[in-house]
Amino acid sequence: MHERIVITGAGVISCLGVGVEEFEGSLYSGASGVKPSELFGEHEITAEIRNFTPQQWLGNKGIRVLDRSARLLCVAVHQALCGSDLRLDDSGQGDPGLGMICGTMFGSLHSITSFDWSGLVEGPNYVNPMEFPNTVINSPAGQAAIKYKLRGINSTVCAGLASGLYALHCGAEFLRFGRARILLAGGMEELCEESVLGFGKSGLISPSGSLRPFGKNRDGTILGEGSALLVLEGEESAAARHAKPWMEISGFGCAHDAQSVSAFRVRAEGATASIQEALASAGIGPEQIGCIVSGASGSRTGDEMEVRALQNVFQDRLGKIVICAPKAAVGETMGASGAICALVAGIALRRQATPPTAGLMDGDTSLLLSKDPQPFDGEYALVTAFGCDGNNTSMVLRRWMQ
Amino acid sequence: MRRVVITGLGVVTPIGSGWRNFWEALLAGKSGIGPVTSFDTSSFPVHIGAEVRDFVPEQYIHRQTPENLGRASQLAVAAALLALQDSEANLARYDRHRVGVSMGTTSGEPLFVERYNNIRKADGLKAIPGEMLPKYPCNVIPSNIAIEFELRGPNLMIPTACAAGNYAIGYGFDLIRAGRADLMLAGGADAFSRIPYMGFARLGAIARERCQPFDKNRQGMVPGEGAAVLVLESLEAAVRREAQVYAEVLGYGLSCDSHHMTAAHPQGDGAVRAMAMAIDESKVGIEDIDYISAHGTGTPTNDRAESIAVRALFGNRAGKVPMSSIKSMLGHTMGAASAIEAVACALALRTGMIPPTINYEEPDPECDLDYVPNQARETHPRVVLNNAYAFGGNNASLCLARYAV
Repeated sequence: MHERIVITGAGVISCLGVGVEEFEGSLYSGASGVKPSELFGEHEITAEIRNFTPQQWLGNKGIRVLDRSARLLCVAVHQALCGSDLRLDDSGQGDPGLGMICGTMFGSLHSITSFDWSGLVEGPNYVNPMEFPNTVINSPAGQAAIKYKLRGINSTVCAGLASGLYALHCGAEFLRFGRARILLAGGMEELCEESVLGFGKSGLISPSGSLRPFGKNRDGTILGEGSALLVLEGEESAAARHAKPWMEISGFGCAHDAQSVSAFRVRAEGATASIQEALASAGIGPEQIGCIVSGASGSRTGDEMEVRALQNVFQDRLGKIVICAPKAAVGETMGASGAICALVAGIALRRQATPPTAGLMDGDTSLLLSKDPQPFDGEYALVTAFGCDGNNTSMVLRRWMQ
Repeated sequence: MRRVVITGLGVVTPIGSGWRNFWEALLAGKSGIGPVTSFDTSSFPVHIGAEVRDFVPEQYIHRQTPENLGRASQLAVAAALLALQDSEANLARYDRHRVGVSMGTTSGEPLFVERYNNIRKADGLKAIPGEMLPKYPCNVIPSNIAIEFELRGPNLMIPTACAAGNYAIGYGFDLIRAGRADLMLAGGADAFSRIPYMGFARLGAIARERCQPFDKNRQGMVPGEGAAVLVLESLEAAVRREAQVYAEVLGYGLSCDSHHMTAAHPQGDGAVRAMAMAIDESKVGIEDIDYISAHGTGTPTNDRAESIAVRALFGNRAGKVPMSSIKSMLGHTMGAASAIEAVACALALRTGMIPPTINYEEPDPECDLDYVPNQARETHPRVVLNNAYAFGGNNASLCLARYAV
């Protein structure tokens, strides 16, 4: 029950590239994927994956039935398996100890809406039965399991913007209870016309087309898309297959504090409690945190809430801890964002430097944010993922040391 | 690790709300299936469904404005209220950060997608109202329960389609067992929607007249809706507050067929592994299982695969373990189904009665087990298994036991 849960690899696809190496290179160069959209017209600003050609990883076979969300997840699975010395299973047997937990906020919203639209316009007898399976929220995880013969636990979790960190936490718990040997855990979110339109209508998107986490003149978020999966296993499993751990999941905290599903709690009770619980479950104090990877996404109230929560926990030391907000570069990837931030934390721990926070202006904040990479000396990173639906999660990751 | 018990039950179903009405109807073999009323089915080849009729959200939702919640959230909050009342747990005495919610669903709040498309068709995309999107992501269901009862602990939606209820109960069980929470509301909810109805109809999976799981002439499943919430807590806490204990949760198993998105593995590969894992984790043996609550949707392939899986795992004992499908009465309530079935399992353990499979007339040589045909039976089960299978090849089996002081 108390086994250490280590991370031995990762797969990622985002507007900053495919695979950890490409993602890391773009992120640390200060690049940003926030640009006029090719998918939805130039008047929309998004952080989308351009020229997405999944065939180069997934091949052509069976790809027609996969919608964009399943394709994104499959590319991340492909990268994760290749990047962690888990061979792609070509025996066709599959591994009953290998599973996946996918965090998502909307799942395959576009497939769901299109299917309904087709029935509404053409009549229920004309919907394409091949498209029906894609209308369940867990379809990307199910499709990925079929494609990569993942026969172990297959779960999908949704906690809004906290979905990615919840997936990592659930994965760690499943491993501790001995329910699987290796789990690919993280998140996935597609950009689609329904989410772009819906977020736009709800007033959450930046009218100025800029994503400026913690910025003085921040005016909303920019949607992104992608998928990140971390390869989770127990310390013993990693040792048995001579896989080199990269970091470990030390602590997790969650707290719900909504009074409605569409407003941040500026008093930050839940956000604060989640950080405190994550630190307590890692068995460390706030002074041991070397860097913070924040989920801040340019929301006026959300970022204000986050600053308050960090102040509540770190107090005077907050101005001395390096912090970064990767959503400035990768956009608000919703259900994927917690996993992307956890991946960034892992990279930062390995490099002992946080990546730049793109789009930062001078005098924006008293936090230790920078347009450049910031070196630090520390074993632990804190990752935050707070949502306006009341879900607040925090995770403590530790650089691997025996 | 702590032992975990069920101390409260709340159901909102097509055959009745509140566990007493529900249980009475189940044992009497009452069907909740009838002509669909929530949308016009004249352009469909089939017309029956299992809807929750006469549901008055205002009876259950007090801290929020009921019409601001999607129907799945409304059903879920109602089930949560009934479960909390039934448990007699006094929330004022709990650290709210240690009281959480874990729910499952297939479609979340699909009526917002329907509304989106209706508006789009009638008035164009410009007319889509801004307040709709935040109410749609499926995790609003557990969030709305937390808001209604001011719960600040873990809050998770596990949308693993028609096995989701068991997944969610499993997660709640894990949190209590590991001491991460003191009280969990766990279950599932789904609202009746044209989206799955169109899909199942197009696949030819919906029965025309009635649901007849395991019968030779079974024609398919019947889509339904509903919600169930179970109150989970540690045995120690339950004993301390002198709570009624319906059953103990012993363990569960999850697996994936990785075979086909909609069809079960023909040999029941994943189903066998999920049952075996649940039994193993529960530290009981196959010989201890006294009753199986079947997934039993009523489609030809599902019922055959499930029967094959049970026979593969139980061997010669298979035909001696009664296995019934309450979907014969409730229809398939999607993400709520396995949570409602877990409630039925808890009541079977508590009362000694097991519910029947109704509409069972002609045995199928490919389904040769004891399906408890048409009549409830008094068998006093001690250990039961609750099976649930889903699109995506997701399988979940939950093992519950009678709790004797």
